[in-house]
Amino acid sequence: MSRTSHDPIIELRHLTKRFSGRLAVDDLSLVVPRGEIYGLLGHNGAGKSTTIGMMLGQVWPSAGELRICGHDVTIHRRRALARVGAIFEAPVFYDYLTGWQNLEMLVSYTAPAVPARLRETIDWVGLSGREHSRVRTYSHGMRARLAIAQALLPDPDLLILDEPGNGLDPEGIHEMRHTILRLRQELGLTILLSSHLLNEVEQLCTRIAVMNQGRKLFEGSVLEALGRQNSLRLRVGEFSTAVEWLRARNLITAHAGHQLVTLADGVGSDQVVRCLVEQGMPVFEVVAQEKTLEDFYLTLMKANGN
Amino acid sequence: MFLIQLCNELRKLFGKRRTYIGFGAFFVAQNLICILFRFTKVQQDIATVLQGNGYLAANYTSALTIAVYMLIPQVLLLMPLYATLVGGDMVAKEAEDGTLRMILSRPITRVRLLFLKWLAGVVFSFVLVIVLGLVAIGIARCWFPWKGMFVFIPQMIFSVLEPGEGLKLYACSQIFLAINAVVAFSVAFMFSCFDMKPAAATILALSLLFLNLVLDNIQFFERYKEYFLPYHFRSWLYVFAHPTPWSRLGESQFILAGVALSMFIIGAAAFQIRDFKS
Repeated sequence: MSRTSHDPIIELRHLTKRFSGRLAVDDLSLVVPRGEIYGLLGHNGAGKSTTIGMMLGQVWPSAGELRICGHDVTIHRRRALARVGAIFEAPVFYDYLTGWQNLEMLVSYTAPAVPARLRETIDWVGLSGREHSRVRTYSHGMRARLAIAQALLPDPDLLILDEPGNGLDPEGIHEMRHTILRLRQELGLTILLSSHLLNEVEQLCTRIAVMNQGRKLFEGSVLEALGRQNSLRLRVGEFSTAVEWLRARNLITAHAGHQLVTLADGVGSDQVVRCLVEQGMPVFEVVAQEKTLEDFYLTLMKANGN
Repeated sequence: MFLIQLCNELRKLFGKRRTYIGFGAFFVAQNLICILFRFTKVQQDIATVLQGNGYLAANYTSALTIAVYMLIPQVLLLMPLYATLVGGDMVAKEAEDGTLRMILSRPITRVRLLFLKWLAGVVFSFVLVIVLGLVAIGIARCWFPWKGMFVFIPQMIFSVLEPGEGLKLYACSQIFLAINAVVAFSVAFMFSCFDMKPAAATILALSLLFLNLVLDNIQFFERYKEYFLPYHFRSWLYVFAHPTPWSRLGESQFILAGVALSMFIIGAAAFQIRDFKS
């Protein structure tokens, strides 16, 4: 079967995973188009790592279909993963071997190690000069770079990053973000990024999926996510009464603190003000809120009972 | 490609310090045993047996004889301990450390990866036994002369051999000893493929081997002795028998090879259906 650049690089259809009766991933369907930086968001235990494990053939799905680069991972693992690189949280290596030896070893499971390619990759990630030191002498940041190098060596089309910022200091996170952007710009990779760091995801990703308790709550572009949410800061006579009125008229979906309300789809601030004024509620200030991915995420979680 | 991957597995295995615990322990144990042979009345006991059968003791209290006697207890206890230590680590330690997840994100089938690891363990078992045999004879030679070989195992073997033939058979026995080590390694390897800690895999393997030893030593189970591993583990000693009971030796070696392969297959099946998560 011939594949084209328009085919999605990851396709999950009705994917389900149960661990001893506990549902970890529930009927998950996802499509990751080529060329995107795709963010997978969710709490701990939301099912992100299980989903990534299934994508890499490390976890067997209980039901559903999973295609990577057009091949079913559970049946054609070698073909599906031939052009895939992966990095996990807290990268682990053989500490008693050098960085170079680790790379030689890991790449040999994909193809024979070519020294020139190893050299090129080491230079690209900025590990030159330390590649022949034992990994036990590496800092956390250097390990992260080595992890990127091992993921890049098979010349991948798809890079899967499972919580790559975990354990990194702010400088390390900045470097990781910069590297991810370089990976897309310079190498044209499709990147699937699972992260808790909403700010990072907002800055990096073009599309996102939000998971909770194994289910997908949202899938779409980051712009769509930010545009979809519409919040106002209201300074009114009595906030709780205002919330009751607005809810009764389905103008808002949520509220937070003593001033913030989230508007329902298609509702504008004019409708909210009109409703409150008609009810005789003094309105002192109405400010459209700058929306962040964090706001969107928290609202989504709240709306789903978290 | 397969060879490169195998070499990498060997590099990982022999790059770890704990792989050498067994070699170090053997070296210490062999020196200790040799000193006991040299400076206690044990030599007189050997002489008594030889002279009682009409042989001149001085001609057979030699490096070859002592080397074989040093090997017997080590093969029974120390060798399984170190073979299972490495076998228990082989998969479970990598799973525990997280390096296995890195490998399993590569386009390699689980069965192939496991076969590579098992093969690396088989190579380790052979190296362990060969080094054990060479060091035994080397240390024994430091304390005893190079003369004929005498092997006496009650109700099993009584052999006196010329140095040349003794050395040939000693070398041959190492192959069969290595198969014993492969079996011990494979038992631990099998447990290591299940979701458990490396220490648990080693302890379970040792328990299984020692249980076999215990059952083998209960006299009422004599009629079932062929079902216990030590019966087959002992077969390496038949190399020194005159005439060599090749059918008995061959039968045991086939059974041991079958056990090792069965352990691999059970381990591979468990490994294949496992989920790997951080």
